[in-house]
Amino acid sequence: MIDLVILISLLALGYGFGQYAEKKHYTSIRKRELILRTIPVVASKIPPQGNPNYDSQLVSGSVVISVDYFKRFVAGLRGLFGGRITSYETLLDRARREAILRVKREAKDMGAEFVFNIKLETASIHKGRGNGIGSVEVLAYGTALIPN
Amino acid sequence: MQYSNPKIPEGINTSKTNPLKEFAVLTIGVIFVVISVLALLIILVDLFADKIPFQWEKEMPIERVLGNKDGSQLPDYINVLSQKVISNMQLPDDMDITVHYVNDDTVNAFATLGGHIVIYRGLLEKLTYEEELAAIIAHEVAHIKYRHPILGASHGLAVGLVLSIISSSADDIVSGLLGNTSMITVMKFSRDYEYQADKEAIELLIKIYGQADGALGLFDIFKSVHNAVEPIEFLNTHPLTDNRIKQAKSMIFDKQVTNQSSMTNFPQDYISWLASEK
Repeated sequence: MIDLVILISLLALGYGFGQYAEKKHYTSIRKRELILRTIPVVASKIPPQGNPNYDSQLVSGSVVISVDYFKRFVAGLRGLFGGRITSYETLLDRARREAILRVKREAKDMGAEFVFNIKLETASIHKGRGNGIGSVEVLAYGTALIPN
Repeated sequence: MQYSNPKIPEGINTSKTNPLKEFAVLTIGVIFVVISVLALLIILVDLFADKIPFQWEKEMPIERVLGNKDGSQLPDYINVLSQKVISNMQLPDDMDITVHYVNDDTVNAFATLGGHIVIYRGLLEKLTYEEELAAIIAHEVAHIKYRHPILGASHGLAVGLVLSIISSSADDIVSGLLGNTSMITVMKFSRDYEYQADKEAIELLIKIYGQADGALGLFDIFKSVHNAVEPIEFLNTHPLTDNRIKQAKSMIFDKQVTNQSSMTNFPQDYISWLASEK
């Protein structure tokens, strides 16, 4: 009985705070993406041809986001049946976009116009801790081109 | 190479499903699967569990665990009453019952493996009439008659085995849900056993005393003991007292028992023995 009450409260807390945080994060991501649109970020390994007068510099941005209890519970259930873990899709989407935003922010601060050869890496940083609630790190890095 | 910087559409990397809907579908799915698999398993186990010879139960060292914990001996009155109840219950020949008494405030009585029945002083003190004590003894003997302790133990073993297999591969927070669901499944069987034992006890009361008010009196005692709101039935090993009363009353009605005789008081020597135990 008490187990069930604890489980339901944890799920409710996880859902409430998790959804609130996610909504807030998405609003902030959209706002900043609009501001930083002027800095294109591309995956191409070759810098844009034509203007050779650029300095280049490494820029990186990383973010760690924790899974909430509710998301993890739903993902655990999905683990039994199979299928898309939709509760983690938004989590990783937020993490990737936030990491790229941090790259852009860094690039903008150093006066860059363009970032090429962008790479993304993902790591779950709770491995080996079975009971820990999961969290995910996304690291984005690329080469910023600063006009000289 | 032409380069453009289009605005990326929102939500292309995520699904639009409502998380609560997904949660509900998955949870209900898991609960349904677990309950049906375990119920099937328990039904299968039941096919074999009551074939376990009672002799094997008797050979288990249960007595050492229960004992007469504080050396209290049962008064003759309880022994005589138990014999009277047991002899009216058509037990199989190889089945014998041992009644234990524990000098403790707990308001409870239970039956366990090997034909052992334990009654606590706390429960005896709540009783007013002999019929109530007879109802308790008959209820517990009925559990043994229908092999409920060995069935219950077998359920626990089977369910535990399945759960340990599942939970070793499932996520640990999900294992909690699986564990709780299986508990609820097992409790359903446990509640059915209580109804069966109640039924037997009421039949016995009618047979010996011509009326079943002892059982109703007993349920009133249970109600006063848990005078707080009783929890939800499906989370319990025992049915709600109200539902037990309902079964008792409908049985009394069906058997057309006309209540004429009043209930029997306890003899004086038993009352003074009980008072001296405290």
